[in-house]
Amino acid sequence: MEALYSIPFTVLECPNLKLRKPSWLRQPSAMFMFTLVLLSYFLVTGGIIYDVIVEPPSIGSTTDERGNSKPVAFMPYRVNGQYIMEGLASSFLFTLGGLGFVILDMTNKPLMPRLNRILLLSIGFIAVLISFFMCRVFMRIKLPGYLQG
Amino acid sequence: MGNPGGWKSLLTFFILALAWLAGFSSRLFAVIRFESIIHEFDPWFNYRATHHMVTHGFYNFLNWFDDRAWYPLGRIVGGTVYPGLMVTSGTIHAILNTLNIPIHIRDICVFLAPVFSGLTSLAVYFFTKEIWSAGAGLFAACFIAIVPGYISRSVAGSYDNEGIAIFALMFTYFLWIKAVKTGQIFWGICTALSYFYMVSAWGGYVFIINLIPLHVFVLLLMGRYSKRIFTAYTSFFIVGLILSMQIPFVGFQPIRTSEHMAAAGVFALLNAYSALKYVQSFVTKAEFRYIFIMSVGIAASVVFLTVVGLTWAGYIAPWSGRFYSLWDTGYAKIHIPIIASVSEHQPTTWVSFFFDLHILICAFPVGVWYCIKYVNDERVFVVLYAIFASYFAGVMVRLMLTLTPIVCVLAAIAFSKTMEIYLKDDSPKTNHRTSEKDQENKNERLYDKVGKAKKISDNKPKDDDTLGINIKSVIVIAMLMMLMLFAVHCTWVTSSAYSSPSIVLATYGHGGRNILDDFREAYFWLRHNTHDKARIMSWWDYGYQIAGMGNKTTLVDNNTWNNSHIALVGKAMSSNESAAYAIMRELDVNYVLVIFGGVIGYSGDDINKFLWMVRIAEGEHPKDIRESDYFTPQGEFRVDAAGSQTLLNCLMYKLSYYRFGQLQLDARTPPGFDRTRGVEIGNKNYELTHLEEAYTSEHWLVRIFRVKDLTNRQEILKPKKPIKKSYKKKPKKVSCEYRKCH
Repeated sequence: MEALYSIPFTVLECPNLKLRKPSWLRQPSAMFMFTLVLLSYFLVTGGIIYDVIVEPPSIGSTTDERGNSKPVAFMPYRVNGQYIMEGLASSFLFTLGGLGFVILDMTNKPLMPRLNRILLLSIGFIAVLISFFMCRVFMRIKLPGYLQG
Repeated sequence: MGNPGGWKSLLTFFILALAWLAGFSSRLFAVIRFESIIHEFDPWFNYRATHHMVTHGFYNFLNWFDDRAWYPLGRIVGGTVYPGLMVTSGTIHAILNTLNIPIHIRDICVFLAPVFSGLTSLAVYFFTKEIWSAGAGLFAACFIAIVPGYISRSVAGSYDNEGIAIFALMFTYFLWIKAVKTGQIFWGICTALSYFYMVSAWGGYVFIINLIPLHVFVLLLMGRYSKRIFTAYTSFFIVGLILSMQIPFVGFQPIRTSEHMAAAGVFALLNAYSALKYVQSFVTKAEFRYIFIMSVGIAASVVFLTVVGLTWAGYIAPWSGRFYSLWDTGYAKIHIPIIASVSEHQPTTWVSFFFDLHILICAFPVGVWYCIKYVNDERVFVVLYAIFASYFAGVMVRLMLTLTPIVCVLAAIAFSKTMEIYLKDDSPKTNHRTSEKDQENKNERLYDKVGKAKKISDNKPKDDDTLGINIKSVIVIAMLMMLMLFAVHCTWVTSSAYSSPSIVLATYGHGGRNILDDFREAYFWLRHNTHDKARIMSWWDYGYQIAGMGNKTTLVDNNTWNNSHIALVGKAMSSNESAAYAIMRELDVNYVLVIFGGVIGYSGDDINKFLWMVRIAEGEHPKDIRESDYFTPQGEFRVDAAGSQTLLNCLMYKLSYYRFGQLQLDARTPPGFDRTRGVEIGNKNYELTHLEEAYTSEHWLVRIFRVKDLTNRQEILKPKKPIKKSYKKKPKKVSCEYRKCH
């Protein structure tokens, strides 16, 4: 068997080759992956795919009774329609709420000064509350009958 | 509190039972408000098929050739349907009947989805328990029981594949996680069996057969290969492949279409990888790792090239349009208008996310964060599921359904972890109390840093703790308030948005509720007053309902498999009357049914859908139909006097607005005022030449027109002769309306 293998090497000379994994190919860190996920989450919940396909304007406009055109941020009464900015604004709120929860978790790190802990806690808490109530406000603008009757 | 373990299982049992009960009862809005009735469109076909199966037996159902659909082509129902739904409700019906509980199959069909939602919450509980902890599992079970994203497809009466498929999906994933964790063939086979049920129930099984291989592939890339994964995947893949091919509708697709090739490729790759691992145990070279990575790379590319080559040579069908449209989002809009025309295939806006998931959508990334932070084999799966499902949900509103379970799972993880931190009683006397919990969540306790923090702060003054408790309770109460508002939101959405049967409409005005039952009125008219073999032409949306309620032959229906046939109907609807008459004669149509909402302001009528008919017809007959003809020169679609003449004279317009110009609805509006579009119609006084009005329902919602027979040739007047004609030589009147069927 060994003789058989060595046949080609009577003619050929083994090149002095070293294969190495390219240095840039590393397993990405967990935090990096999460950032990617959060970013794509931000875009998807903002309806970026809808924006690409339907191509709505970034902000709509209406004409009031005196004939002046004024901007409208939300496309009212339409669950299946949106303007680009309102989508981004609300997905920002979703992400803010998510980050609030993450910050709430972070406050439990050991060895953190008390002031920092309280600050972080209130920031996280406020972020969650703001996102929650702003989402409700947005929903009211979008569907004026929301949670009524 | 003598036996904490017993209390725990009792609590678990009670919470799950309550979740089941809450989920079941919140799905009953439609039954209580209206009656026990099948909803919408597709459920009517499923109901009809189930009814056929129950009355004629399973094998007759598999061999059923339905000559009442797709006239004149017919439909081989047994080979074009996922039979899992019908078999499930048929089995329940048979069991109840053997127990001498006589129940009509319709009631089983109506209540199947709510009952299965309870099973889904059980499956989600077990899934989350495997992924994280039992507490998170209970949260997840409660979330999935009431979350609107799932209720939208499983209210009572919405008898559709998705109702049972989400249970099958989550149960398959639970078994898969179990198989990965234990590495036993038993769980792998169980996964395959559950997968078989999923394949028999819903076309969404493709999601499973792509996600599980992806999980394995990513685990390989992360260097997390183990014997457990090898055992789990190979046993699942082989048995699952063979089982899935037993469904007639699926047939040889698992080895011939691109959607399934990823699974086969990963199977080959996994085997190559483990073979190399085996070789590695003999060869002990330092460079082996690099050679190893290289050969895996080569194996992967060989598999990939083989698949590409086979596809190119035609042995493997390329991705079908529906799947292709998931990746290239503009594809459907350009190439397959029939897919783009369905409202549930539209891309998703932010409102749908919030509407269907509410607070869970905020907690969802937190769950992902925890899963990435404390990663292990099965949490990789959850993260992958989350990423892909959220992308797909963004492309199509309908796929919100597959996103919903994982959002519930991840949000449950987030809530349970947060609650765990903030509900933890810091007073030292309870330290031993949680000891049995430690055993339960051993791997989780490893990461729990609260304990450490406490030890360090032990020698600090006491006020840190008391302040902490106050703040903690505030946070916990706020969380509970949010969850309560979530429940309020879910109930509101369910009651106001997802509980309308859509074949019975209700209006709320002065004097309470007003029921508009026009659809059933008209379908029953069809059932009783037309010939048994009469052919009804309508737009495809109403095909299943006409067949289910009217029991009449339809030309096209919601199983949109034949685009050209639909385009022909669309062409007839969008041509002028005489051109349409020629098509209708060719298609042998007796009646035309249109839905018209102008009287009551119903926006889902045929005029609003009309542009899709034009687009689909244009796709097949670009010479005869052009979309631009139906717009005004300014590019607007309007039905008033300024509208384009092509539109004002097409068949759909004429049928919808026939005699409408004489109707004055309100003293303040002119006669012929269309409430849906809010304009006065442009073409008022006309007569139909080739059709006649047969029936119009009470609120004009459904209008049925009879297609007249060919007119008699004009009698040639002969000069009067004094000679008497014999009686029998008089020209006979041909009036056999249904010649074709005799």
